[in-house]
Order: sequence, then C-alpha cells, then structure tokens
Amino acid sequence: MKLANAVLFTGFAGIGGSLLLAFLWAPSVSIDAFESPAAQRIFYWHVPAAWAAFIAFGALFIGSAGWLFKRSERMWRLHVAGSEAGLATGLMTVWSGCVWGAAEWGTPWDWTDVRLNTFGLLTLLAIYVVLGRNSQPDGVESRDTFAAFGLYGFVLVPLTYIATRIWTIRHPGPVVGTDDGGSINSDMGLVLLVSALSFTVFIVGHMMASTRLTLLEQRLQALQAETDKVI
Amino acid sequence: MEGMTYLAVGYFGMLVAIALWTYTVVQRSRRLEDRLAALESVASPPAASDGTNNELDPN
Repeated sequence: MKLANAVLFTGFAGIGGSLLLAFLWAPSVSIDAFESPAAQRIFYWHVPAAWAAFIAFGALFIGSAGWLFKRSERMWRLHVAGSEAGLATGLMTVWSGCVWGAAEWGTPWDWTDVRLNTFGLLTLLAIYVVLGRNSQPDGVESRDTFAAFGLYGFVLVPLTYIATRIWTIRHPGPVVGTDDGGSINSDMGLVLLVSALSFTVFIVGHMMASTRLTLLEQRLQALQAETDKVI
Repeated sequence: MEGMTYLAVGYFGMLVAIALWTYTVVQRSRRLEDRLAALESVASPPAASDGTNNELDPN
C-alpha cells in the first residue's frame, strides 16, 4: 500500500506542477486562431486525462478478459480498478471538453461529432459497470456480465482514437503523433508531455491502490463469513 | 484576464476533485485495514496463536 500511495501522490504532485506550468509558463495561442485563447489551456488537462482514460480502459479490457477466460481473482481486481479509474478520468475528459466547447464553439456538446459521442459512450459504459457492480451482490454471474461489458466496450477505444483522423467534424484533429510532426510548438509539447506523464503515474497509482482495496474487501468478506460460521 | 480567472478556478476545482477522490480511496483502505485487523484479532487471539491457551490455564 505504501508503494501505491507513493506512486499516487507523486502523480498528483506532477499533475499540480504541470498545470502550474500550463497556466504560468506555456505560451499563449494566437487570438486569430481561437475564439477563446485562454480556454485553450484546458488542453493541458483534457488531453492527458483522455490518455489516462485510455490506459484505464485498457486495464478494464485486460481485467475483463482475464476474468472471463482464466477466472483469475487478480484479473477481476484489475477489472474493478480499471473501471473506477476509467470512470474518473472519463468524467474529467468529458467535463473539461464541455467547458472548452462552451468557450470555443459556443456549445458544450455536438451530437453529430463522432469522437465526442464514442468517448461519451465509453464514459457511460464505465458509469454502468461501476454503479451496476456496486448495486449487485458479488457472484460469478454478475462478474461475467460486467466483464462482458468491459471486454466488448473496449472496441470504442480504437474507434475514439481514429475518429478525428477519419471524420473531423467539430473536435480538432490530432496535434501530436502525426506524419507532419504535429502542430504545437516545443514549449507546449513539453508541458503536454509532463502532464501526460503525471496523469499516467497518477492513474497507475490509483489502480494499484484500488486493486489493493478490492483485495482487502475480499479478505474481509471471507473472514466475516468464517467468523459467522463459527458463531 | 477574465478568461484566465475562470481557467484558474476550473483548474483548481478539478485539482480539488481528484484530491478528494484520492483521499476517499486512501481512507477506505485505512478503514478496511483497521476492520481486518480487528476481525483477525477476534478470530485468532494472541494467546491461542502459539498453541496454548493461558486464559483457561489456572497455573
């Protein structure tokens, strides 16, 4: 637990530091290119949060597959951690995107944009899995159901990733990792990188802590059942 | 400047939100560890752990 906490707090400190850099050090964008240049700085939160969400949904996919095919308790714990982390980072991404959309586009959401809707669906999937699991008694059947959602829902991740490369409707296209070397300057790229690394460390720490939490809950339930049997 | 003020408030709000989320995870973990320790101490008292039961032994 100490390691998980250390990773978690390192990530949190990194996020705080990188947002400070984004706010005070990163260069401003041209007022001609953006309706709301100040709101553009949300990008340093929005993009790394989406990146962390993809990591979390990847963990949810691996955990779900591990439970369905191997019946591994460890993989079930990864499923739980991935879904909770995916929900939190998904909400951060959607929320920061809505704030930026409201400032830049004049509307927080566009129902015709593929990326917005596939990512929104992913977040809804995480909400369903987390709330559903918490409201059901733990058992093989309920685990199978939620693991199936985690497994098949993952198809939305590559779809979300390629959405702006194929259909650029409202959401901006990729600014890094493109064939032309990207469209942001080096200072912006540095802050984005630091922020993405911090979010990665933070979400890995969270999943470690969450996995441990599920393990403790399982041990507690087993011990309580044992104690009840003796009484 | 107004836009930057909104942005600062937004950043701060999101930082507070993830700090609260982290705090709840750490607190839940601590509470569970305490409950586990309490249950384990009830399930296996220290006197019985070495194979003897001194409480029942008058000598």
